[in-house]
Amino acid sequence: SPTGDSWGIFTFLCAALCNLPALPALNCSEELGAGQSIQQTYDLTRYLEHQLRTLAGTYLNYLGPPFNEPDFNPPRLARAERVPSATVDLDLWRGLTDNARLAANYRAYSRLLCYLRVLDGQVGTAELRHRLAHFCASLQGLVLSIGGVMSSLGYPLPAGPAAPPASPGAPAAPNDFLKKMDDFWLLKELQTWLWRSAKDFNRLKKKVPPAVVTLRLEARGF
Amino acid sequence: VSPAADPAVISPQDPTLLIGSSLVATCTLSPDFPLKAEDLYWTLNGRRLPAASYAALGPSTLSVALARLNGSRQQSGDNLVCHSRDGGILAGSCLYVGLPPEKPVNITCWSKNMKDLTCKWAPGTEGETFLHTNYTLKYKRRWYGQDNTCQEYHTAGTYSCHIPKDLALFTPYEIWVEASNRLGVAVSDVVMLDILDVVTTDPPSDVHVSRVGDLEDQLSVRWSSPPALKDFLFQAKYQIQYRVEDSSEWKVVDDVGNQTSCRLAGLRPGTVYFVQVRCNPFSIYGSKKAGIWSDWSNPTAASTPRSERVAGGCDAKGGEQNTTLRRELKQFFGWVKKHAYGCSNLGIKLYDQWRVWLQKSHKTRNQVGKEP
Repeated sequence: SPTGDSWGIFTFLCAALCNLPALPALNCSEELGAGQSIQQTYDLTRYLEHQLRTLAGTYLNYLGPPFNEPDFNPPRLARAERVPSATVDLDLWRGLTDNARLAANYRAYSRLLCYLRVLDGQVGTAELRHRLAHFCASLQGLVLSIGGVMSSLGYPLPAGPAAPPASPGAPAAPNDFLKKMDDFWLLKELQTWLWRSAKDFNRLKKKVPPAVVTLRLEARGF
Repeated sequence: VSPAADPAVISPQDPTLLIGSSLVATCTLSPDFPLKAEDLYWTLNGRRLPAASYAALGPSTLSVALARLNGSRQQSGDNLVCHSRDGGILAGSCLYVGLPPEKPVNITCWSKNMKDLTCKWAPGTEGETFLHTNYTLKYKRRWYGQDNTCQEYHTAGTYSCHIPKDLALFTPYEIWVEASNRLGVAVSDVVMLDILDVVTTDPPSDVHVSRVGDLEDQLSVRWSSPPALKDFLFQAKYQIQYRVEDSSEWKVVDDVGNQTSCRLAGLRPGTVYFVQVRCNPFSIYGSKKAGIWSDWSNPTAASTPRSERVAGGCDAKGGEQNTTLRRELKQFFGWVKKHAYGCSNLGIKLYDQWRVWLQKSHKTRNQVGKEP
């Protein structure tokens, strides 16, 4: 099935990335600039990943079984395609320019944030609404952080990601069960994106512009 | 891009039902789908339903009979799903099973310093958690004015609401709560009140407890009236409660009246006491009704003197609580310097060790209780 192939590619992607040589981490504690922002953005994606685990657990329990079962893997129906997918061909991913890489992340999280905010308005329990609101605030922070990195590297921000909350192109789910499936896939896609972003920002960290690297070496008396 | 046709359709889609009712649901395959009714099965909340409850109503329609339904397992609805033989999901329907709400009860309200109104209530029955039940607090001035709706919920627990402004004094209000869910609506009885009758305030500030000279069985309590109400004509009455350090039984002093100081007598010598004070702003603007008691102030601790002399003990002159405490702390830090190689690990464990040492080296204990 097509879904199976995407997962396969992504797993391969992860395995390949884990074998890439890692540069020793530079000490960027005091300095501002692209290097620092990239590190912060990376840290933010890890933090969000952690937050999402709790949020998803609570939300899926709210949806009830089978949605909260660990092996649950429903069909991804056509209407769910509107959520931007993180899975991508490995060569394509490797070949992305810094600008394209950052832009993909920026666009994805802007869209995901919109959909999450719609969720926030509809969800039942006060506890869930509270958690969602907190997560949305953190996700907003991530979008801003990515924007900051793009600006500091001189890239223009992608045009108009701020679509109105209910995206006009895709219809709202026609019944409550399909809406639950949409919600499930939204959370899944968020999770996948956060995994992918960690790799994206790790890769970007290693490609910090030479000018910044020289400055740091000078500071160390080389 | 038009979405692909769904593989199947369930009827009824997302129904609302009373607890105990029965339901027959059907799963109808779309004509382009290459499956037949006998290739299908049902699950409810992830559990497979027995084939005995199925019936084929045609080559591409399978029904299932559900009897005496229990309340929904989750408020988002029970998940009734139609599967193909290999487990794939073809369609689903959310069942909302519950009870209509009952009249909310026990509405109680209070106003903090006459500036606002907070009300809380209780749901009519336990059974209102199967379905999501919406509560709306409404209020209006008696005899005129339109209905107003409270906006800030959950300020004092789940079933509460806070009205922050635009409240009139010297006029009765009618207050009620409406509960609604998918199965119906229920309205509580109307409660009538005047803001001035339900005023509460902050606990008294600056509560000080001190010894009365050398008297072993007395402590003097002093406090200030809450500042928020100082501009309003009211008489406050106060209550004091106190307990011994290692007991959970509070003694209450009720007849404190309007004063801002009080002497506790009949106490045990050489004992640590915890003391709290609270305030009731009654007779606001001459209203005869009692107000609502404030929260208790944070506990303040003090110890009564003990007359015996103790070797290296702490009470000799005057026995003022502060000097005793100072001396004890000096002793403690002196001991720490000897035994603790720097202050980095000063902690509770160290303090406990010191107390044990104290116990061993003094005949009587003279502890100062920690503030809870």
